[in-house]
Amino acid sequence: MKTIKNIFFILVFSFIATSCNDGLDLLPTDKITADELFGDPAGTKLYLADLYNRLPIEELTYFPQQGFNFNAGGPNNGGFTSSMLTQFAHHSERNTFINGGQLNWWDDAFKLIRDVNLFIDIIPSLDISESERALYMGEASFIRGFAYFGLAKRYGGVPIILSPQEFNGDPESLKVPRNTEKETWDFVLSECDIAANSLGESNGRRASKWAALALKSRAALYAASVAKYGGNVGLTGEAVNLGLIGLPESVAADYYQVCINASNEIMENGPYSLYKPNPGSADEAAENLRSMFENPNLAPEEAILIKGRTIPGDNYGNNYDIWFGPAQKRNGWPHPGRYCPTLEFADLFENYSNPGADGKIVTTVDGDTENYNGFDPARQYIHYGNPVDFFADKDARLRATVVLPMSEWKGDIMIYQAGFIKPDGEPKIETNTSIKVGEQFYFTYGTENPDEHSGFDSHGGNMSKTGFGFKKFLSTDPVVPGWNRSYTDFAEFRYAEVLLNYAEAVVESDLGNATNAANALNATRRRAFHQTDIPLTIENVLRERTVELAFENKMIWDLMRRRTYHTTFNNTRKHALKPVLDLRGTPPYEYIFIRDRVRGNDPQTFDINEYYRNIPGIGLNGLVPNP
Amino acid sequence: MKKNVFSKEPKSKEIKKLVVFFTQLLFLVLLLNSQNALGQNKTITGKVVDGDNLPLPGALVMLENSTIGAVTDFDGVYSIDVAGTGSQALTFTFAGFLPKSVAITNQTTINVTLAVDIAALDEVVVVGYGTQKKESLTAAVAVIDSEEIQTTTNVSIAQKLAGKIAGVQIRQQSGQPGSFDNDINIRGFGAPIYVIDGIRRGGSSDFQQLNADDIESVSILKDAAAAIYGLGAANGVVLVTTKKGKQSKPSFNYSSVFSYVRPTDVPKMASAAQYTQMWNDTQLFIPGGSGTPYYSAEEIELWKSGAPGYEGTDWGELVLRKQSSSVQHNFSATGGTDKTNYFMSFGYVNEDGLLKSDDMGYRRYNLRSNITTQLAKNLKASVLISGRWDKNWQPGANFFNVFKGTRVSLPTENAYANNNQNYLAPVSSGLNPVAFMERDITGYSESKTRRFTSTFSLEYDAPFLDGLSFKAVAAYDADNFQSKSLTPTYDLYTYDDVNDTYDAMKQNDGTANIRNGNSNSDALTFQGFVNYDKTINDVHEIGATAVIEKNSWAQRRSDIQRYYAEFYTKDQLRFADVLGQESDGIEDESADFSYVGRFNYAYKGKYLLEVAGRYMGSFRYSPKNRYGFYPTASIGWRVSEEGFIKNNISWISNLKFRGSYGIAGMPEGGPFQYVQGYSLGSGDSYEFVEGELTEGISTPPPPNGNLSWMEATTKNIGVDIGLMQNRLNMTAEVYERLLDGIPARRSLALPNTYGGELPQENLNSEITQGMEFSISYRNMIGRDFKYDISGNFSYARTKRKYVEGEAFTNSNSRWRNQQSNRWNDVAWGYNNIGQFQSVDELRNAPLQNGDQSNVQRELPGDFQYEDWNNDGIVDGQDEQPLFYSGRPKMYYGFTLNLEYKGFYANMLLQGAANYTVRFREVYAEMFAFRGNTPAYFYDRWHKADPYDINSEWIPGKWPANRTIGDVGGLYKESSVWRRDASYLRMKTLEFGYNLKSDYLQKTLGISNLRVYVSGFNLYTWADEFVKPFDPEKIEGAYSAGFTYPVTKTYNFGVNINF
Repeated sequence: MKTIKNIFFILVFSFIATSCNDGLDLLPTDKITADELFGDPAGTKLYLADLYNRLPIEELTYFPQQGFNFNAGGPNNGGFTSSMLTQFAHHSERNTFINGGQLNWWDDAFKLIRDVNLFIDIIPSLDISESERALYMGEASFIRGFAYFGLAKRYGGVPIILSPQEFNGDPESLKVPRNTEKETWDFVLSECDIAANSLGESNGRRASKWAALALKSRAALYAASVAKYGGNVGLTGEAVNLGLIGLPESVAADYYQVCINASNEIMENGPYSLYKPNPGSADEAAENLRSMFENPNLAPEEAILIKGRTIPGDNYGNNYDIWFGPAQKRNGWPHPGRYCPTLEFADLFENYSNPGADGKIVTTVDGDTENYNGFDPARQYIHYGNPVDFFADKDARLRATVVLPMSEWKGDIMIYQAGFIKPDGEPKIETNTSIKVGEQFYFTYGTENPDEHSGFDSHGGNMSKTGFGFKKFLSTDPVVPGWNRSYTDFAEFRYAEVLLNYAEAVVESDLGNATNAANALNATRRRAFHQTDIPLTIENVLRERTVELAFENKMIWDLMRRRTYHTTFNNTRKHALKPVLDLRGTPPYEYIFIRDRVRGNDPQTFDINEYYRNIPGIGLNGLVPNP
Repeated sequence: MKKNVFSKEPKSKEIKKLVVFFTQLLFLVLLLNSQNALGQNKTITGKVVDGDNLPLPGALVMLENSTIGAVTDFDGVYSIDVAGTGSQALTFTFAGFLPKSVAITNQTTINVTLAVDIAALDEVVVVGYGTQKKESLTAAVAVIDSEEIQTTTNVSIAQKLAGKIAGVQIRQQSGQPGSFDNDINIRGFGAPIYVIDGIRRGGSSDFQQLNADDIESVSILKDAAAAIYGLGAANGVVLVTTKKGKQSKPSFNYSSVFSYVRPTDVPKMASAAQYTQMWNDTQLFIPGGSGTPYYSAEEIELWKSGAPGYEGTDWGELVLRKQSSSVQHNFSATGGTDKTNYFMSFGYVNEDGLLKSDDMGYRRYNLRSNITTQLAKNLKASVLISGRWDKNWQPGANFFNVFKGTRVSLPTENAYANNNQNYLAPVSSGLNPVAFMERDITGYSESKTRRFTSTFSLEYDAPFLDGLSFKAVAAYDADNFQSKSLTPTYDLYTYDDVNDTYDAMKQNDGTANIRNGNSNSDALTFQGFVNYDKTINDVHEIGATAVIEKNSWAQRRSDIQRYYAEFYTKDQLRFADVLGQESDGIEDESADFSYVGRFNYAYKGKYLLEVAGRYMGSFRYSPKNRYGFYPTASIGWRVSEEGFIKNNISWISNLKFRGSYGIAGMPEGGPFQYVQGYSLGSGDSYEFVEGELTEGISTPPPPNGNLSWMEATTKNIGVDIGLMQNRLNMTAEVYERLLDGIPARRSLALPNTYGGELPQENLNSEITQGMEFSISYRNMIGRDFKYDISGNFSYARTKRKYVEGEAFTNSNSRWRNQQSNRWNDVAWGYNNIGQFQSVDELRNAPLQNGDQSNVQRELPGDFQYEDWNNDGIVDGQDEQPLFYSGRPKMYYGFTLNLEYKGFYANMLLQGAANYTVRFREVYAEMFAFRGNTPAYFYDRWHKADPYDINSEWIPGKWPANRTIGDVGGLYKESSVWRRDASYLRMKTLEFGYNLKSDYLQKTLGISNLRVYVSGFNLYTWADEFVKPFDPEKIEGAYSAGFTYPVTKTYNFGVNINF
């Protein structure tokens, strides 16, 4: 008994004794200190990786509603891109038009600015050589300049914050008023200068002197356009009065000159040129361009800054292949075919036989391209045995950018058929039916099985509504039917854009060298197998911008900066080119094309207040709101 | 001796004998009923009274060693026929009194006085770190015992509790086998903590998977008394006590339940004929479109007539069973000697899923061994061990996608190419559920848990001071979770009628993968107790407890995934592609340390006082803020013990007023915020060089030493009333809980140009107020008919007090958006004022869809929303605070138990009210996925000639069919779509028979045999539109229509004691 009692007490007391060490001093399993991180350039690189990825690069994971890097697990947004807010593309099942919820980038922008400011504060204390310090400063300036560019084009003038703010308990002390739009643009340009002066050559993946100049060229052109055309729009309000939005027309020339100089520096002294500038045929040109967008690493001579993605997966890959590939190539993925390039887009491409003019697609003998009233038995339509022939004269970039009806893609013919004309002349268009003519069945959408055609069928929003499929950036490998499984790299700055920035700045300002500008305009055309140069006019430059930079998420900003959004969209509809099989007469039956409205597309009108985004959080930041 | 015969027989014979029961059952019933007819009459009558000479109605009078008995009437009088029974004595029993046996001699009258069983009145309740007499409780503690828990048959303990305890709010989310996602909430406070045999262990899912047969009782600490547990206890504590042995011969229990499981509701989807007509409407009504229906009139006729090739597919029928089954078996043994007591049990559960492929289910084994032994005089040891193994599995496509496939796949499509059952076909939804449900085709996902819990304790009664005892407890729990999923490639086929071939289309090409997940955790608890209990001069009752407690927990997780290259080989990681692989893993740990003290004092059993406190520290906060002291106090006054009642008003058996107040600490906010540091993987990745990915690190918020415990201040006032020998019991409580220091980031209130994140601070606050009431009454009618009725009701609502980061630029914005000082459950919406009846009405009405014209996207039959501010446009300005959202504010339950001789019945009705749900997608939007849509939308506004947009409108219940993209303001938040989800549910209805007979006892050693049939979730009264989702499902699950349906079950059970 005694011993048991003793044992018990020994147990209890030893237990209580061990308990007195409360054991609460655990260490986190997921943190390292600032010294550990920045003590090694490899660590600093980790910090920079995060900053670079947060740059406002509108690549393949950018969507106007959800913003940048929208590629976390299951990013189901329907695949609505910013081009679908322009007249050049339609979404297969949404008719959404521009609204206040889109194109915003505010909180994340100021987070990036704070984080880059923190880095700028740390640079002097790093144990590195002076030249390395200068490189870090240059990279930091590029990042900060790019961030302010992303803000300026959305909001106009914004608060310029040059060092990380300290919170001392009083939120009032953190309020910073908006700078004017002019100050903001000037700040972007001065950051570009610091970067261009500190940085050297590029590996195409990291900030360089040339990337800084390309950003400067783009930003200056934006500012110049706002100055030149801003007056066309009657925006009013306190923000206008204070110069927080808008620029005086008088400064337009200055900005055009900055654009010209920056572009010229790249053109004269940079190591860049166009990728495969002199193709042997239109087909070769089309394939050169298509492959360059599938993999911009093929073109180090043209790509000034690439945002790369080496592996698939959440937060890495993009979803262009699953959202936008033709329905026939969906490989089991339930939601393909969302991107529908419009007839307006296809019309824009020049015909080789008629350089320097829009190549409006003529479908009837009468040549009327303004009739959008559907099939009219009274009109005489042009017939094609192979519809692809219909586009033979078109600028090669059209086929590089879109899938043409009945053209080949990944080894199969992509069927975009909207209907047929019955032997008795009754049209069956955009309705699901079939007819037996002779021994043969014909289906309105080309085939009976919806997995074997890609156009117009209304189920699931998987089919093009315009007669064209999307091709640019798509992989030629089979679609991997999962989220974020595509890993196409994206060239944010291309030499082609610099050329066209230069051409636009010269033609708009009468500054610079007009000959060089005309050469710049025609260089990208020659790369597309155009054999005849066209004169330097603003129409030619803008057409060339659209066809060359199509769907690179830049078209919407051209509408914004040039203030042509409200004139383009004034109760405006988008249009389709509907291939229809004509079963009148005798076989072999041939296709006709009908210029028509896009089904499900309402007329759209741009509200001028959308030229500037609304600043969020006015209640707390005390900023003057945009109209 | 007969009893032992049974246990000595070989196992197979035992089972045979079990089977024999069922065949003998009918015979036995007949035998028992005929007994009274035998022999001559000899009747004994008498009266049973208590110590105060008051009659005891409902007392049981039995002939010793027989099953013949009688019950006293309202005046305590009984009459019993003893002739021919050979019985030597009568036994008298009545709840709360000591039983008494009186020998039968020649007398014909036997009057008996029963003495109060002091021990029974001392009914003991498990409370924080100890037990307490029920009568001296001063806190809001609800207790439910094993018998009451078992009246409901369900695999989850949560459902066995639902509706039975005031203030315990339980919602079912699905009936998926092995999901255990019932939401358990006490008083609207949030997730409670679970304390099982004195140790805080496991979460809601572990609690729900306890073997109900192992549970002795469950106590729910609802008010500040819970604070003694600290660490999350401010949301309430669920205390589970498992069964322990008693000194007795071994007794065994075997129980078994077989159940049929059916969905409570699965709405019919449109048939092919309905679908084709409705889809035509969607095409006709495309705004600005060409207005061409998709299917021709001839084709629709074919679908209507079901001509060959036009039979249509009912996907639900192809894939879902009408019912699935589940089975439960439990075996337990309990007993003990004067030194050692034991309870041991083994339980088995198997549930099948609703898929016709049989590739879904859940299986569980529970094991428990509770042994207590006297090691030496004054020294007692106990070892409580339990184990659980459970596994659930489903097809690789997951039930969600299979079910979605049955909902949205078109009825005009076929599961098989060319109707050849060897070739599964692709369907336009991309979800062929016939393929998806097959494990052999789309793979599988399964998870397994192995859980071991153990508690070792030593208790020492100090011989040198009466009432002083010590206890040391060590508990070790281990948890191992393994998951595996396989997504192989497989082929679907299209039929090529020209060549009569089947063309394969490879699925999951490039994404086929296999994944293994592992997580292991260990939890350790040490507790040291000093207890002192003493009654001085029969007047002062003193109880004191001091505890030191230390908890620690550590977990290691890993997750490995490999993709298959072109060819799927085998479902093993090793055989997938080495190049395509992903892996992840992390370790986590936590620790806390506390001193706990409690002091109870009662004066003459009338005036009660309890004070308690917990001084505790958590690893999560900085050393300077990691400790906090949290006290509680409660008082009670047993008015019924006062002379003026006790001596004067005999029908008041219990009247107690009580009140409590306390502050509890809650560990909230992310851990280690006091440590400055950059988190690996916190930033985005970037490719500085082609082909080389750099994972980034982002700036962390500054370190924060100030974050500390969130504090809950709880007040409770209650009254307990017992009338007529406690036949009628009532309890009412009102309470309030203030939650202060809810972590929030001050950066929310900073200008959004600051760009930084500030650490969490204890900033926000909210207050919850509520009341609850329960009442029960039990009595008898005549001699044999016993009944009890009880009901409970609770109501609680929460108001936010302070919310960080609110700022408004104008009063309208403040009115619309302010959260602070407002109820947390207000949903804003538009006021539905009917349906448009004509185009004219539409044209003249306020614009329904912002500034867009009514003509484009609104149609007659659409719901009209009120233009509240009369500006001609229905937009955000017209939203009104119309609805309750969030949790139900009101819960109630009603129980009825009836017993007649051996027969019994019980019923439980449970309901909730004062909340709404907004469901979306498949059942709440037409053509939500551009696939099939529910059949009820067929009753719609449509055109007299479906091919002529200019023909007249035919009204219907629902608006004209359009796809989501083609409607205007139709789906605005309003009473059309956000529905009152109040419901009342027949949770349980059970009929059974308890057979106690000498014959069984003597021949088979069976002391009781119970058979029963019961149903669970048998019927629901709720809004018809809410039923397809089920009103208990929680809003916000974005695809509530595709998760596993809530189910009802029909059970057949048997329970044998021997």
